[in-house]
Amino acid sequence: MWHRIWREWDWTVVVCTLLLISVGVVIIGSATHVNRDGLDINDLVSKQLMFFVINTVVIVMMQWFDYRRLRSWGRPLYFITILLLVAVMLIGTSALGAQRWIQIGPITIQPSEFTKLLMIISMAQMMENRVNKLNTFRSLVPIVLYVGIPTLLVFKQPDLGTSLVYLAILCGMLFVAGIRMRLVQIIVGVAVVLAPLGWFVLQEYQKQRILVFLNPNIDPFGAGYHIIQSKIAIGSGMILGKGLFEGTQSQLNFLPENHTDFIFSVIGEELGFVGCVIVLLLLFLLIYRSIMIARSANDTFGTLLATGIGSMLVFEVLVNVGMTTGIMPVTGIPLPFISYGVSALTTNMISVGLLLNIAMHRKKLMF
Amino acid sequence: MLEALYKKNKKGRFDALMYIVSAIFIILIIRLFYLQIMDGEYYHTKAEGNRLRMVSVTAARGVMYDRNGQIVAGSRPAYTVSIVPTGQDIDPDELNRLATMLNIKPDVIQSKIAAHKGGYEPIRLATDITMDRVTMIEEHRHELPGVTIDVEPLRYYPYDSLASQLFGYVGEVSEDELNELKAENPETPVGPGTILGRSGLEKMYDDVLRGIDGGKQVEVDATGRPVAEVGRKDTIPGRDIHLTIDLPLQKAAEKAVADQLTSLRSQGIPAQGAAVVAMDPNTGAILAMVSAPGFNPNWFARGITSAQWNQLNNDPNHPFDNKVISGEYPPGSPFKIITGAAALELKKVTPNEMIFDSGRHWLIDKRNAEGEALGWLDFNTALAKSDNVYFYEMGNRVGIEELDRFAKLFGLGEKTGIKLYGESSGNLASPEYKRKVFDQDWYLGETFDAAIGQSFTLVTPIQMAMMMSEVANGGIRYQPYVVSRIDNSDGTPAEIFGPKKMGVLQVSKTVMDLIRNALRDVTAEGGTAGALFKGWPIEIAGKTGTAENSTGRDHGWFVAYAPYDKPRIVVVALVEQGSFGAGSAGPIVRDVLAEYFHINGAGTDNKNGTNANGSTTGGNTNSVTNNNSLGTTSTNTGNTASGSTDASGDNSSNTAVTGPQQR
Repeated sequence: MWHRIWREWDWTVVVCTLLLISVGVVIIGSATHVNRDGLDINDLVSKQLMFFVINTVVIVMMQWFDYRRLRSWGRPLYFITILLLVAVMLIGTSALGAQRWIQIGPITIQPSEFTKLLMIISMAQMMENRVNKLNTFRSLVPIVLYVGIPTLLVFKQPDLGTSLVYLAILCGMLFVAGIRMRLVQIIVGVAVVLAPLGWFVLQEYQKQRILVFLNPNIDPFGAGYHIIQSKIAIGSGMILGKGLFEGTQSQLNFLPENHTDFIFSVIGEELGFVGCVIVLLLLFLLIYRSIMIARSANDTFGTLLATGIGSMLVFEVLVNVGMTTGIMPVTGIPLPFISYGVSALTTNMISVGLLLNIAMHRKKLMF
Repeated sequence: MLEALYKKNKKGRFDALMYIVSAIFIILIIRLFYLQIMDGEYYHTKAEGNRLRMVSVTAARGVMYDRNGQIVAGSRPAYTVSIVPTGQDIDPDELNRLATMLNIKPDVIQSKIAAHKGGYEPIRLATDITMDRVTMIEEHRHELPGVTIDVEPLRYYPYDSLASQLFGYVGEVSEDELNELKAENPETPVGPGTILGRSGLEKMYDDVLRGIDGGKQVEVDATGRPVAEVGRKDTIPGRDIHLTIDLPLQKAAEKAVADQLTSLRSQGIPAQGAAVVAMDPNTGAILAMVSAPGFNPNWFARGITSAQWNQLNNDPNHPFDNKVISGEYPPGSPFKIITGAAALELKKVTPNEMIFDSGRHWLIDKRNAEGEALGWLDFNTALAKSDNVYFYEMGNRVGIEELDRFAKLFGLGEKTGIKLYGESSGNLASPEYKRKVFDQDWYLGETFDAAIGQSFTLVTPIQMAMMMSEVANGGIRYQPYVVSRIDNSDGTPAEIFGPKKMGVLQVSKTVMDLIRNALRDVTAEGGTAGALFKGWPIEIAGKTGTAENSTGRDHGWFVAYAPYDKPRIVVVALVEQGSFGAGSAGPIVRDVLAEYFHINGAGTDNKNGTNANGSTTGGNTNSVTNNNSLGTTSTNTGNTASGSTDASGDNSSNTAVTGPQQR
């Protein structure tokens, strides 16, 4: 098996992942002033590193397991997802106006992160047999209902970001599953017309975020503060950045949430345009490989899984980087592999493990 | 078949997906290019603006020294609490905590912050706080983001209200003033937080005293807390000035005024304000300058409270006015010096002509103040006893035009030009003035009034001091001055100010000597101030005045110089609504002179002193040893006797002119 891993793993994915997580850990260190305070076991950096090591082991162990066996897990995982989301609503702890966390010992986990992967698996399983049969609205109804329930639950937390990720995954999978383009056109058309109505289902803070996104200066010290300071941080990094640990916006706390949602601003400030482009290229390579893996997977289930993972990643990158650079409204979506958050890191690493697994198994069929 | 179709379809879909993903990344990179490369400089400036604050460092103001090198206005280190504005409203919890710790009302803090709209300069909230409060704030620092404690030089007046109107006070520049100054001169060294001179010498010499504030560039975190000092511009301390004021004399004058006002009030005389000025008649240097009531300039240096401000501002006796230079009063009897000089100089009267005072003038029924009749009088007695009828007649003979001309020669009716703000020019009673202001004809009775210093004539105490100086020094008009030297920053003199001659009085020595003689007799037994200087070892020339005041009780004047034969000091005192000059202003002048000549036992102790001296001089009073007294044995005939004595003094020409006068 070791031999096979060595020969058949998609090393591009492995190297990109390792590099991204390494950059992430260093930048988390910078954002949490590890250079000044020294490293401590309770630090965010230590926690992130610890989960990196654990998950690396998990990824390797996953290779003894054939992803195709997940097919039968699809339904139970779906119910686990719903259960988790309900649990968060009942026993979750609040922060920043939303119930998203569950405290387990010293670790707070964010179940909605895990549910992204669980949803990918259960959606892939659910859609596997519907591939190329998505020609009518009627054929879409079960899928929409299937995805709609957890989406609504997570939206209610309220966690707009995660619910949008679900929808992004759905869109990616539907597209690859050969949804009739005519349907897509109609749906997009209707969505555009109905979008203004969506305003009324948004929470107050979400409306505020959108208003502020359109003009951050309406509330420069409130909701607009993040956007303004993030743009200043990134812009002031210029070509080469101010140097690691030297970002004034980040180091002097002008930039809030600088180790989680706004970590990309720290990269922009301290590593500059060059650093940003390198990070984006690594992410692009990873996503590119996931689409390549989806394309060459030896079964539809694998294709859908890899597509889901790729869709999830590309959507998160778009929204997060877009948010920090001021072209997307603020939604609580972390930057994959880089933002601090053990739940997100675990989810993303296991997704990578899954990608590697799919990649490893496609060769076998070709022989 | 279907499978093949799907494969083909699938391939297309994956290509499309790749295009979408590529497009997303390209958009993001374009956006980054735009932010970091196109607009990088702009955001860089913004980031620097976020983190860097210029904090001004107050320069220590120059010191004011008295003539003996004593510090009369200096600086001392004091703890100042400031808050660095973040542009956001202050957190209410923090506000309340801070208000409690500084013991000031939250809305006072709020309004101070509001007064500095826009800026990122630290705002002074409290100055000169106690060590207890410093400790308390330091302990709660983490709860008070943006609050800083600095040690700053604080203007300090060691003698509190001493010469307060002369020294003036200081205050922090306001936002509006700063904008004005910036508009006038964009290069102005005045910045937020700069301390400016507001009145008196502090204002007059602000450019010299102020120095140039320095600054330090500090890096602050998001809460406004300074984390590091990035750069520094050193302050340039203000330059020192040396005053002509004599601190012990000033103190004595202050005390004399305070004591006298208390004493008068205890007698039921509602005297509230007073002015005293002491001057060197040979130079014009001001030795002491008191205006009562005063204020404590330290209140302003520390940041005046509204209670203190209201107290001063609502005081009907104008504590901010320097009455010595700005107060305009009818001169009363001291004006008879001018009337007399005019009459003698114009030969309208000879010193020996006897005029009969029947208690009223024969042309117009104008009388002496107390209704007394002094009988036959020559010039000397008339001035010494301040007879009104005699001087009505002098006015009658001289005429208002000539009276005015002489008043102008003595420096009345125009500013002395002392380098201080707020000097008044006074006024001269004249037909033109009456015509202009009241559109009425001039009457002879008004000339009578003018001749004894009533009517429309108004003078300032410093003008009276100038007049007395001219009498004392033989007629030279020196411009009064209070600053003798401005230093360079290293303490070497930059500018030195000395006597400045403004003119010489065109009155003959003979006339001047006659006047001086009479003035000495004022303080001799039988003169209007005879009781004041009883037993003094030196001779004083003086003149009392009780000036009618249309709005209240009479103002009391006493003008004097001493020693009579070799004048070294002129002292003028005015007590607003103090009634008789001899009783109100006189004791003040006496106390000042006592301090100046180190005469112990002034005032009530005087008698003891007299007795002690009496034993050595055989019961005589006027002088002991320092006066080479030949003729002082007879106080009753003191006029003539001491006249010849003085001839042996330094005025060599005296002998000739005093001779005929005595016959």
